[in-house]
Amino acid sequence: MRATIRWRVVWWAIVAVTAVSGPARGDGLDDVKKRGTLRWGADQEGGGPFVYPRNDDPTKMQGFEVDIAELLAKRLCVKAEFTQGQWEKLPDLLDRGDIDIVLNGYEWTEQWASRYGTSIPYYVYELQFLARQDDSLLMTIEDLRGKPGERRRRIAVLGGSAAELYIEEHFGDAVEIVNFEGPTDAMRAVETANDGVDANLQDLCVVPFYESRFPGLKRLGEPVGLGYYVIFVRQGDTPLLHALNDAIVEALRDGSLRQILQRYKMWNMTQARRGLETNESGEFTGGGLVAISGAEEVTFVAERGWNVIRNRGPLLAKAALITIELSFCAMPLAVLIGLAVALGRLYGPRPLGRVLALYVEVIRGTPLVLQLYVIFFVLPEIGLNIHAFWAAILGLALNYSAYEAEIYRAGLQAIPRGQMEAALALGMSRGLALRRIIVPQATRIVIPPVTNDFIALFKDTAVCSVITVVELSKQYYSHARSTGAILELGLITALLYLAMSYPLSIFTSYMEKRLARERRT
Amino acid sequence: MIQINDLHKRFGNTEVLSGITMHVRRGEVSVLLGPSGGGKSTLLRAINGLETFDRGQIQVGDVVLGPEPGPARDEALRNIRRRVGMVFQQFNLFPHRTALENVIEAPIHVLGKPRDEAIAQARSLLDRVGLAHKLDAMPGNLSGGQQQRVAIARALAMEPEAILFDEPTASLDPRMMAEVVSVITDLVGSGQTMIVVTHAMGFARRVAHSVHVMHAGRVAESGPPQQIFEDPREEVTRQFLTQAKEN
Repeated sequence: MRATIRWRVVWWAIVAVTAVSGPARGDGLDDVKKRGTLRWGADQEGGGPFVYPRNDDPTKMQGFEVDIAELLAKRLCVKAEFTQGQWEKLPDLLDRGDIDIVLNGYEWTEQWASRYGTSIPYYVYELQFLARQDDSLLMTIEDLRGKPGERRRRIAVLGGSAAELYIEEHFGDAVEIVNFEGPTDAMRAVETANDGVDANLQDLCVVPFYESRFPGLKRLGEPVGLGYYVIFVRQGDTPLLHALNDAIVEALRDGSLRQILQRYKMWNMTQARRGLETNESGEFTGGGLVAISGAEEVTFVAERGWNVIRNRGPLLAKAALITIELSFCAMPLAVLIGLAVALGRLYGPRPLGRVLALYVEVIRGTPLVLQLYVIFFVLPEIGLNIHAFWAAILGLALNYSAYEAEIYRAGLQAIPRGQMEAALALGMSRGLALRRIIVPQATRIVIPPVTNDFIALFKDTAVCSVITVVELSKQYYSHARSTGAILELGLITALLYLAMSYPLSIFTSYMEKRLARERRT
Repeated sequence: MIQINDLHKRFGNTEVLSGITMHVRRGEVSVLLGPSGGGKSTLLRAINGLETFDRGQIQVGDVVLGPEPGPARDEALRNIRRRVGMVFQQFNLFPHRTALENVIEAPIHVLGKPRDEAIAQARSLLDRVGLAHKLDAMPGNLSGGQQQRVAIARALAMEPEAILFDEPTASLDPRMMAEVVSVITDLVGSGQTMIVVTHAMGFARRVAHSVHVMHAGRVAESGPPQQIFEDPREEVTRQFLTQAKEN
């Protein structure tokens, strides 16, 4: 469905390294039954019809996968428990043991099947080309190829998706591929001809859900490509896989899966062709093409203006609290570690200095997202299982400690040598001199740059969504996509970030003025 | 009270101290004179361990400081630094602390003196150097002369057996210099042992009990001020005094 190819390559590399030492897992089905919950992982940011915040109660999720999870849980006689995770990291959450299954538009591929237990498909997906209604030059799929001498058509796809592979395979260089992160972003780009985007190859199941929202789009040709959305369980978790398979077949047979898919306008000929549906006496009735009467349909409901601000604003404010908690826990830690590293480098024995210099280079030279990933997903492989929130704080603190160490090193070096000499001449030990004389002065010097970094940290907390922490940015994306209120919620989000960083800016300039006064000699 | 024996030190290929031997008795004011680069400041800083040395030894009271690094030297240094105070050319007051806090810092944190006792002592010391009205001033708001007087009070607060002055008036204009000189003269009167590196000839002549002229890492000539200033025996001394007069 989503996920960029770049990341997948990195993932497979890390996965290949860590898979060797994978810890032994117990029987998943037993665990589920004992616990009484089926913990299923999905990403609410993906939006409808998969999993997205409900309109009437945005703290709860809806979507066809929510319904399927509930249906499966019911068949296993347990409760479904939704666990939020960044889409491309859901398999890692499964490895960590935070969830029992991944149920979020993952396509069956040989690669995935070699890593995870894959269920029989709960949905057979196809791909649909979309173009602008008024684009008279695009009437069939073949029109995308254009004529010699014309500019190449630009086609929006989700990075790393089956759609991208399809275009590469069938069109090659005849068209230009433009990568997008979310399905609605790609559809909007086509409708507004943003960046010269002419068409979008979209998961067919998404199209009916959003058709009302993008009236300027038309379907181009018949659906193409075909594949399976499957559930992942941990490898070797056979009893759970069997139980899920039985439940899916059962739901196909008795029509309950059709009911769910019909609600989201996803039931079609392709599903019907599976030909599994029977009546109560067990007789096949011809394919289940007839809509079940009385089923209400769910499609995208736009929520705009004051309404959306009133309904979703409090959720964003709550997520902002997480951002604040992360920042206020991580920054003091970062400063302390940074100070220790700087002191070690300047005053410690030489070998220690070298080790610390390497620490700074490694931490500073690698991306925060990778550090978070290692702490959250790789450390459990060696038996260190850290809660997501604390892993986020640890990752941020370590990452920023390298920068604070450099700031502190500069600050400490700015203190005239005479200060240390005067302290030593008064009989102080080096440690006492550092603690009482040098560090307090260096701290005054570093306050403005450290505060500056603090402001940057507020915004970097957004990266923590890769390890399931839902902070302000993540919350914004999921609600903006599920309501279409990109502008309104974007403004609120921006205001919330400003409200966090502006007081710090004021503090910085106050400290700068104070320092200037103190330094006057 | 301070005995220096055959002290050697080199910076790379340059020998900055080439066999200094010197004795300072209790209550004696010893002034080090001589051209820049002669090793005066290096010698002074070696006495309380701000500079290392390669050969020889320094004895303060019964504490012996040798050149070899190690725990024994650190221990000796701690002992010497508690007994010997130092006043720097650049004052080196702690800029983040008030005048009073500068003075009480070491008595409280090094000697473990109770805070109110340290404050009472600091008040009387700052009064003695004429700064009773500047207790709460930050160093940045004090003149150079005032800062140096706080620095002297800070050294005195440790009740040192000797004080090392490293060109204490060199960064001051004449008026501020006079303030500091009068404070130091007052200390001389009270029998404080001290070694003073200075270029201020009048001051040197007034306070010194003995004068050592240093040149090229050696003591070129030693003697009472009268003899050094009026009847120098060494060519080096004569040259130096002539130049000093011309300036």
